Amino acid sequence: MSKYKKLIVSVGVILGVVLITFFGKNVFAQSKPQDNRTQIVFWHEMGGPAEKTLLKLVNDFNKSQSKYQVIPKYQGSYDTAIQKIFQTHGTNTSPAVFQSSNISTAQVLHSGYTTPIQKFVDQDHYDLSKISPVARAFHAQGGKQQAMPFNTSQPVLYYNASLLEKYGITPPSVSPSYSEITKIAKELYEKSNHKVKGMTVQIYGWLLEEAIANSGGMFANENDGHTGIPTKVSIDTPESVEFFKWIRENIKNGNFMDYGSGSMASTNQTSGFLTNKVGMYIQSSASMSQLNKKNKNKLGITYFPHPDGKKANGVSIGGAALWVSNDKSEAIQKGAYEFIKYTVRPEVQAEWQKSTGYMALNRDSQKTSILQKFYAKHPEGKIPGQQLNSTVPNYDNSGILLEGMQTIRKLEEDAMEKIYRGGDIKQILKNNERAINDLVYSQNRANGLTKE
Amino acid sequence: MLKTSATDVIPEKKVEAKQKSKFKLTANDKYYASIFAGPSLFLLGLFVFYPMFRTLYISLFLTNTFGNTTLFVGLENYVKLISSPDFVSSMWVTLVYVVGVTFFTIAMGLLLANLASQKLPGIAIFRTLYSVTMGVSVSVAAIFWLFIFNPSAGFFTLLTKMLNLPTINWLANPTNAMWAIIITTVWMHLGFVFLVFLGAIESVPTTLYEAADVEGVSKHYQFFHITLPMISPTLFFISTITIIGSFKSFGLIDLITKGGPTNATNMLVYRIYNDAFFGGNYAKSSAEAIILTVIIAFFTYLQFKFLEKKVNY
Repeated sequence: MSKYKKLIVSVGVILGVVLITFFGKNVFAQSKPQDNRTQIVFWHEMGGPAEKTLLKLVNDFNKSQSKYQVIPKYQGSYDTAIQKIFQTHGTNTSPAVFQSSNISTAQVLHSGYTTPIQKFVDQDHYDLSKISPVARAFHAQGGKQQAMPFNTSQPVLYYNASLLEKYGITPPSVSPSYSEITKIAKELYEKSNHKVKGMTVQIYGWLLEEAIANSGGMFANENDGHTGIPTKVSIDTPESVEFFKWIRENIKNGNFMDYGSGSMASTNQTSGFLTNKVGMYIQSSASMSQLNKKNKNKLGITYFPHPDGKKANGVSIGGAALWVSNDKSEAIQKGAYEFIKYTVRPEVQAEWQKSTGYMALNRDSQKTSILQKFYAKHPEGKIPGQQLNSTVPNYDNSGILLEGMQTIRKLEEDAMEKIYRGGDIKQILKNNERAINDLVYSQNRANGLTKE
Repeated sequence: MLKTSATDVIPEKKVEAKQKSKFKLTANDKYYASIFAGPSLFLLGLFVFYPMFRTLYISLFLTNTFGNTTLFVGLENYVKLISSPDFVSSMWVTLVYVVGVTFFTIAMGLLLANLASQKLPGIAIFRTLYSVTMGVSVSVAAIFWLFIFNPSAGFFTLLTKMLNLPTINWLANPTNAMWAIIITTVWMHLGFVFLVFLGAIESVPTTLYEAADVEGVSKHYQFFHITLPMISPTLFFISTITIIGSFKSFGLIDLITKGGPTNATNMLVYRIYNDAFFGGNYAKSSAEAIILTVIIAFFTYLQFKFLEKKVNY
């Protein structure tokens, strides 16, 4: 008898599991109140405090109108999310609107999986000119807006204003040159009796790309991909050599702190800055909210440093943009656009900047009381926006439209790391440039973009 | 324990085999065979064999941004990999890591198991302590060790500062990072290895040691000439699974160094993952996966061929 009992119980359990997996979804779905709104699935990659702000933004949008309901879903890091977006396209799990990192822009563009935002903008007669031109330029092709920039950052130089004051050092100018930063870093290191390292630059490919852009150099041919498919990348250029010479000089002076490139490098760098172990560092303006929250010292911000004897060309934006997937019905796509339009409203962008450190992209945001109050408390918070707005877009500073940037950036970081540890700058750059170009060639071939 | 049961069972089997010397599958047998083996064969086929052959297939092509095969290139992916200094260095790094981890895990495991097998009051506490890492998940271990290796506030840094020694930047220097990963992996593996070794050492008949004591043989000699040969099957088992396990190491690398600095800890498996799911280069990573399979198969073959002969069952 007990034998049968066991059998019946196990069969029952299996049946139960099977039934729940197949029908459970319907049963649970029915228990929820029916909603006639069109559902817009939104995939994003914001974690931490930015996610909280984003969820509030989505919630506010859902309350603001009755036609659409945006369902946000967190997808992990930018780099794995883009793979998921490609792999699910055309299935019913794919998103209607998704956030994609700027370095994936070329891939998304070439995929043909998206509807250009320009189409809806034209139908809606929306005035795009209010949105920052540098930010728009990254996601435009042939004068047509392909995606809407959303969380946009600028690389800036942070300095510990309290420390500089304590040791009587003049703070850097708004747009400092390499040698100016070297001088301050050296002074800080020496006046603090070697307790505070002067500066650090994280081993992060983005910063190298920005240094090249700010010196007016070209990273990839075909105008950084804005006028065609790039076939060649140049990092063995006078611009990058000058950038690395600047870093090497500081390493030689002993006032440079090297945090390595492991997963904790960025965290260690931030905590080093907050605990007065290092006086200056370059990072995304999106770090500002974090730095403001935990900082006991006065925070100083300047533009990204530029080479001596040259005017800063301006840096391109970092961050991500929102795209409309074309595998959904017209109505859903329209809803996705309505949501995107909502995200760039002046007050929404103002709130976004205040709580995340990403920059408000709408020109009118600066006039809102939200940002006015914020600037009154943190006057340095204006700097990243100023840098963005003072930049005249040209091909060098409008971002790089090149596929496989994730892997290319890794190769850049390999080069940076080797240079930081000593070794011939020219030789290392030459070798890594060759490796990058091999990759560019083979991925163009795989995607059928080159003639054999 | 193992020995007695083995001697009980083997003769029976022999008898059965003799009775069914003209072994032939009847229709009924086939029916039952397909019922019993069918589901697992189906699942294996779906989740093991199909992906395996698919990987082999993809590795002979170029893949586009979406992972679809576009251009047949034959062995080009393999030739490129083997001639790329980056990949070769990855293979060396993996080899150093595997040898390091296997050696230290077995040495430490044996040492601890030998210590804990002594009949001393309170030894049970140590037995629990030594095997406690078995209950720690990879992510928790990684976070825990990251705190220890932290260059500004880590335990090692505080320790070296207290002793006025130069501080070591564990994760920024290529050699140190390799040590950091080896130490962490050994620590992770140790609990299980310790427990298996302890069981094996405990099951060595005490009469052997008593006889050795009567002969006046040193403890040191006893360990190498009684304990080690007696636990050699366990040693063989542990070395095989440690080697294979460390070839496949992923979590700790991803969480602690991300393959850096300068690719010093970019092991094969991590490279495969990165090339596919980070770089989107599925063809390259498939070729790498096939190479890894061949390497692991080769090592396992070597072990069975040479080590097994020296094992006393």
